[in-house]
Amino acid sequence: MIPLSWYLVVAFVMIGLGAYGMVTKRNLIRIVIGAEIMGNGVNIALVAFSLYNPVFSFTGQGLIILVISVTAAHTALALVLMLMYQTRYSTVDLGEPITVEARKSD
Amino acid sequence: MLMQGFEALFEQVEFIVIAAVVLLLAYLALEHREIVYSVFFFGFMAATVAGFYLLLEAPFIAGMQIAVYTGGISALIIFGVLLLPRAQGSSLEVLQTPRMRRIGMVLSATVMTLSAVLALIFPWYESFPADRPAIAQDLAGLAAWLWGEHGIYVQLVALMMLTAVIGSVAILKMEKTEKLRPLKDRPGLGSRDEKKNEGTSETEAHDDEHQDAKEAGTQ
Repeated sequence: MIPLSWYLVVAFVMIGLGAYGMVTKRNLIRIVIGAEIMGNGVNIALVAFSLYNPVFSFTGQGLIILVISVTAAHTALALVLMLMYQTRYSTVDLGEPITVEARKSD
Repeated sequence: MLMQGFEALFEQVEFIVIAAVVLLLAYLALEHREIVYSVFFFGFMAATVAGFYLLLEAPFIAGMQIAVYTGGISALIIFGVLLLPRAQGSSLEVLQTPRMRRIGMVLSATVMTLSAVLALIFPWYESFPADRPAIAQDLAGLAAWLWGEHGIYVQLVALMMLTAVIGSVAILKMEKTEKLRPLKDRPGLGSRDEKKNEGTSETEAHDDEHQDAKEAGTQ
């Protein structure tokens, strides 16, 4: 049987990758993808715990079902917010409106 | 005995292959130049993560992962890319200086290494109860757990999703109303100097409104 720590290592590396994407990227869509990767890492850790600790058995899986549904809802909301951001600032890059304003005032 | 050893080895090889593919696809999803390709890579990554759930004896979660992430969320993000034309020809990699990128990389690599080392050295097994009941990961038990005593959570999630949908529609409608009557045309907001140049009748009307409001305020 695969040790639990292997799953946790993969989960932590995925969380780190997602955090890297969220910190360094400016494109809103890439930021959402980074958040999804982080969420996937957390899901793997939860399911692994639920298998290796039988007290958790269904708690982990049930939680995952709830978490996945909420993730779908919040991605839809993020899409709407991106649309709004684009109509307002005509870009999907964070930080650009500020630079455009600064360029205009120069 | 030999068969069991072979099975365990096969499982480990499976795990390593899935982990390598998942991490590679996740990296590509973040770093690929074309945003459409990175969405596709994300979808494939979500499908590969389902392999972990199969290894963890949770086939229902695997199916749900593929249905929701690969089928739903990837499609949603692709719609997002289609609806946001500026997303494709982005970006502003100019602003993303190499120094900032390096700092982000070093920070996340440190976090990753530290947590991975913690995961490897922490004695997880000691925190688990010694007398394990038999693992019951069947679908009927999951359904009983979810709908029996925890039905209220399912209803809460349903309520949350309804709120998200209604909120999205409300935000978009708000946007439309704003477009029909832009903020700068309202008296008191935006630039009033432009309006004076447009014509006197409109400004007079606005002034009348102002006076009416003032009178109403004094009364």
